[in-house]
Amino acid sequence: MDIRKENRILKWVLIIISFVFLAVFLILPLIYIIVTAFRDGLSGYIKGITDEYALKATGLTIKATIIAVLVNTIFGLAAAWCITKYSFKGKKILSTFIDLPVTVSPIIAGLIYVLTFGRQGALYKYLDPLGIKIIFAVPGIVLATVFVTFPFISRELIPILTAQGTDEEEAAALMGAGTFTIFRKVTLPHVKWALLYGVVLCTARAMGEFGAVSVLSGHLRGKTNTLPLYIELLYQGYDFTGAFAASSILVIMAIIVLVLRLILEHKGKKELDVSRR
Amino acid sequence: MSENSTVKEAYVELKKVNKHFKDFHATDNVDISIPKGRLVALLGPSGSGKTTILRMIAGLEHPDSGEIWIDGKKVNDIPGSERGIGFVFQSYALFRYMTVYDNIAFGLRIKKVPEKEIKEKVTELLKLISCEGLEKRYPSQLSGGQRQRVAFARALAPNPNILLLDEPFAAIDAKVRLELRTWLREMITKLKITSIFVTHDQDEAIEVADEIIVTNQGRVEQAGTPRELYSHPKTPFVAQFIGNSLPVKNYDDFRFFEKYEDEVTAIIRPEFVNVYKKGEKVQFLSSAEEATVEDIIFRGSSFEIKVRLHGNLISAYRSIIEPAVEVGEKVDVFIYRMFLIKNEEISIISNQSLKQESVVI
Ligand SMILES: Nc1ncnc2c1ncn2[C@@H]1O[C@H](COP(=O)(O)OP(=O)(O)O)[C@@H](O)[C@H]1O
Ligand SMILES: [Mg+2]
Repeated sequence: MDIRKENRILKWVLIIISFVFLAVFLILPLIYIIVTAFRDGLSGYIKGITDEYALKATGLTIKATIIAVLVNTIFGLAAAWCITKYSFKGKKILSTFIDLPVTVSPIIAGLIYVLTFGRQGALYKYLDPLGIKIIFAVPGIVLATVFVTFPFISRELIPILTAQGTDEEEAAALMGAGTFTIFRKVTLPHVKWALLYGVVLCTARAMGEFGAVSVLSGHLRGKTNTLPLYIELLYQGYDFTGAFAASSILVIMAIIVLVLRLILEHKGKKELDVSRR
Repeated sequence: MSENSTVKEAYVELKKVNKHFKDFHATDNVDISIPKGRLVALLGPSGSGKTTILRMIAGLEHPDSGEIWIDGKKVNDIPGSERGIGFVFQSYALFRYMTVYDNIAFGLRIKKVPEKEIKEKVTELLKLISCEGLEKRYPSQLSGGQRQRVAFARALAPNPNILLLDEPFAAIDAKVRLELRTWLREMITKLKITSIFVTHDQDEAIEVADEIIVTNQGRVEQAGTPRELYSHPKTPFVAQFIGNSLPVKNYDDFRFFEKYEDEVTAIIRPEFVNVYKKGEKVQFLSSAEEATVEDIIFRGSSFEIKVRLHGNLISAYRSIIEPAVEVGEKVDVFIYRMFLIKNEEISIISNQSLKQESVVI
């Protein structure tokens, strides 16, 4: 038998499997979301997404996402920088612990904070008199979101900074450049795309986080409900139109992120080619 | 006389410098003294601590103990950027997201030199390294030799007093390397800048440097001119490392060489050996020994002839204008002298027949 012919058959079988898989598990549900969202007509959909609580939930999701991305960008840069550019005791431990949030179940992440900041928690008696509420409040949600997206940015940066080594920074330092100049002129151009890519991943994950946030939120409608929590709430209440309308907001946000990701990957790759050739 | 002593005054000096990486003694009580304007090579096998020494002079590493002096000032606590040093990294470490122009201008911009002066300086340097027209290129768009020269120009731009180069030719292919060696030597001589370069290639060190510092296992074995190291090695390591050195255990088997003590090794170099075709009229023929040619390697201006004698494969050079020998041919071999290594000391032993003949004559 012609080996090439066999390969052609295999090729098409694999392609068909991939597409069927994609259709059943991804496209179909997405269509279902849209269809259900519009089940009661356009006005029903608009009512669903302009619902006061839906808007509040969207707002909270965006807020938590932005804070998580900011915090993790700063932390990720700092951690990636010190792990790759300096040698110090505890470097291995730091590097291992950064990964913990992705290996630990989000529910546990939520419980950790409940145990730390809740009524029985070690820090409660210090924070309560100061009027700082974390559990079942917005800070708790932000905290949980930060936790689950913790390693996304540093993990993107570390391989690139490692591959680059410290020579260029040392060369700049020997010519009298300060730390900030070195970062801006030498390091940042190098990690720019990886950083943006990390931000995108972090954003996607932060928007959709359910488990950890669910534990910490207390489900106060209009106060501590993020979009995913709000969707669940509607769904549990058999308000399918509302649930799927709200879902569509999340889906649109995800698609925006996906497109951004494609653009960044493309640009980053192009620039990497120039730097490697 | 007094003029001579001022010339010899150390410009860069390391005094009893030690550096450990964890338990590893990377720099072991190193003393180095380099006069102003000299072009010095740090020569040693890979891992012998050359880069570490260079990085300590540049302030990129800090010694555990000992002092580093530059131009009469102790610089241990002065940051590298204030030591007046230009550094060419082994990997060149060009800023890959900056053009050639911006790379060379970087140090000047940090110093807040006016943009007009920067332009003049960069243009001048580009001309010096024959890279005019490349200013808009990125490092990735340059050849190995061009990168090396841009790295050189970038290091020179802020007018350093000392130029440090770490294995400047290691990443360049053989043909270009030879050109660059000559080029670098000319450049540095022209600029009269005190320079230290690291290499593990003795030919490179001998060809380029005024003075060579031989390192081994974190220690300085010997410092001196290439000639001194060649003819008067002070340690067994130098005797074996420099030149095409062959250690020989049974040196007393050779004619007219006597046994000295047990547990000594002799070193034979090609320059100590003459190979004669049978029937060639030569002075010491009576004291030569017969050996068989095993290999002949063309070295450009000469042949390296390898002969088997008393179980050792001994190398000798023979000019290409002399009558050719062939593999398998029986030849006469005369060995003038050997280095004798005993208890970390070196002595020279000569062929006994040389004494006898001089007595006869
Ligand atoms: N930053 C470092 N950490 C640990 N060991 C090092 C470091 N730098 C150098 N060494 C060790 O010190 C020794 C000497 O290194 P180096 O000075 O680079 O040698 P050379 O340049 O002569 O090849 C090597 O064995 C190397 O492994
Ligand atoms: Mg080295």
